[in-house]
Amino acid sequence: MQTMTAAQPAICTHEFRSICADVLSQAINGEIVGMSNFAKLTGTVDDVHERMECIEHANCERNHAAAFIAVAKKNNLPVLITSDGTYWTRVRETFGKWADKNDFIACIIMQEVILECFAVSMYNDVGKALASTAIGQLFLAISKEEEEHIEHSIEILQAELEKDHEGFINKVEKVHYDCMTILAEWSMLRPCEDHCLVCAGQCMKDNLPSIGLNIQVLRGNAMNLYMKTLDRIGIPGIKTLEWVTNLPI
Amino acid sequence: MGYQPADIAFALIGHQDCWKKITGFVDFFSKSPQGLSAEKVAQVYSFIPPRVLFDVVVQSVIGQRVKGCYIETFISPDELAPRHWKKNIEKVKAAAACARKLGAGVASLGGFTSIVLEGRNDALNDGAFTKFTTGNSLTAAFIVKALEKACIKFDRQLADLQLLVIGATGDIGSACVEYFAGKVKNLLLCARQNATLQQHVLALQKKGLQAEASTDLATLLPQADLIIAIASSGIPNFNPLLCRKDVIICDAGYPRNLVLEFGNDFKDRLFYGGMGVIKGGYTFSPAVHHNLYKFPINNVAHGCMLEGIVLALEKLYTPFSAGRGNITPDKIEQIYLMAQKHGITEAPFFNGLNAWQPPRL
Repeated sequence: MQTMTAAQPAICTHEFRSICADVLSQAINGEIVGMSNFAKLTGTVDDVHERMECIEHANCERNHAAAFIAVAKKNNLPVLITSDGTYWTRVRETFGKWADKNDFIACIIMQEVILECFAVSMYNDVGKALASTAIGQLFLAISKEEEEHIEHSIEILQAELEKDHEGFINKVEKVHYDCMTILAEWSMLRPCEDHCLVCAGQCMKDNLPSIGLNIQVLRGNAMNLYMKTLDRIGIPGIKTLEWVTNLPI
Repeated sequence: MGYQPADIAFALIGHQDCWKKITGFVDFFSKSPQGLSAEKVAQVYSFIPPRVLFDVVVQSVIGQRVKGCYIETFISPDELAPRHWKKNIEKVKAAAACARKLGAGVASLGGFTSIVLEGRNDALNDGAFTKFTTGNSLTAAFIVKALEKACIKFDRQLADLQLLVIGATGDIGSACVEYFAGKVKNLLLCARQNATLQQHVLALQKKGLQAEASTDLATLLPQADLIIAIASSGIPNFNPLLCRKDVIICDAGYPRNLVLEFGNDFKDRLFYGGMGVIKGGYTFSPAVHHNLYKFPINNVAHGCMLEGIVLALEKLYTPFSAGRGNITPDKIEQIYLMAQKHGITEAPFFNGLNAWQPPRL
């Protein structure tokens, strides 16, 4: 994982408050999408224990969103919570497509591998950059909790790979291009082409260096964790290399 | 690290020395119809975790075949400076974990990656099945044997010549110094760390050998009849105008140490050292060979990589080269003989332009 040097400017500067508000807005909207995804997942499983687990995970995401909202309120940071965010809407709809097909495995790949890898990695980077603040500590704590979701998925998906090697890899590839393309566009190195409708003003990417972050490293670290997770599941390394290098940059 | 080829006898762990090669192999694996721009590749490259890229099958001239694989570390060629070492060492350790998971008997660490085994603590050879070697002994063997051959080609007597080793305190550099000690007229040692350099010279002088050292390359270049460049990084202060007209240069660095115009007199006097050739041949699967490992001569490979292959052919699963300063002339002869038995020997002379065309004698 690549590290960045945190600038740690005073929390009272306008620039710092603005970037913190945008980062928190993205996190809150992402957690809410995660919450609704897990809730939808209950409809794709018959096993009652799995259903209960889905609800538990949905509640976990709800708590994360609530914690981010609370820390924003405490610091008087104006966050934007919307169900119309350009990229988060696409993520929600894509998940809904797989859920409507009752494809539990595809949903797990999307939520617990792709989305959680992005969350764990980006929260960790933001947390380290803001480590001296309560906001930073919250990001670090939630990053740790989200790691459990990734762990939860790995055994399930390893078993799926064992059952049908080629079929499973084809499915991961489809979900990858469906979902990871959206995240890759959202985290492209230049400002988003379509406004995300979550950032309050202009695209936050240009302002990330003011808190010691940059989008290339944030995105790169997230891709790194994603690839490592696919490696652990057992996807051939040259497949994931092909998939990742074909994403928009 | 999901790729699980069966029966892996050896693993080769490495990194690329230029973006052209990287773009070539990333293009191959991405299967992108329009190809990826170097800029795009550079944005993601160093974030990719180490992974197996292809299988390698090597044929020995005595009928044996061994199968191994190549593990790319995805260390960026722009990030070889000391400030990136911590990150790079983590990558090498992750690549080593891949080799262990595959159950390779022996793994060679190519180029920069050997740094992990050259420190005081050997973090890799900790009792696990897979043994790790830097491959430096066979690299040193190919350097010294090729240089001796070059002297014969140019009808030069070693005993009359002064040998300059640039990077003389490194693992391979010091092995070359020790090998040629007493064989050449004078040893000229150049390195960045003056204290270590002086220790080396003192040790040679105590043995009654003629040797001098300097951190200033310009003072040594005019004296040198033979040059081995084996520094850990490029040598930007190498001034070819200071060299003798009849100098023979072996550039054995990875990445290559010297950037010389081949339109000049060096085109038939500079060769890339530390390279070997497998007479029985080798194959890559998938066949990424032309995108990644292209030389003017067929079946050429780096000595460090070939050491792992030779050890696998010999079923000698041992950390043959580990630590720093442990390569003796005896070890050089031992690994060289093992390699020769399987038809693996120093490569014919070539450089960045083409295969050497030495003058007719």
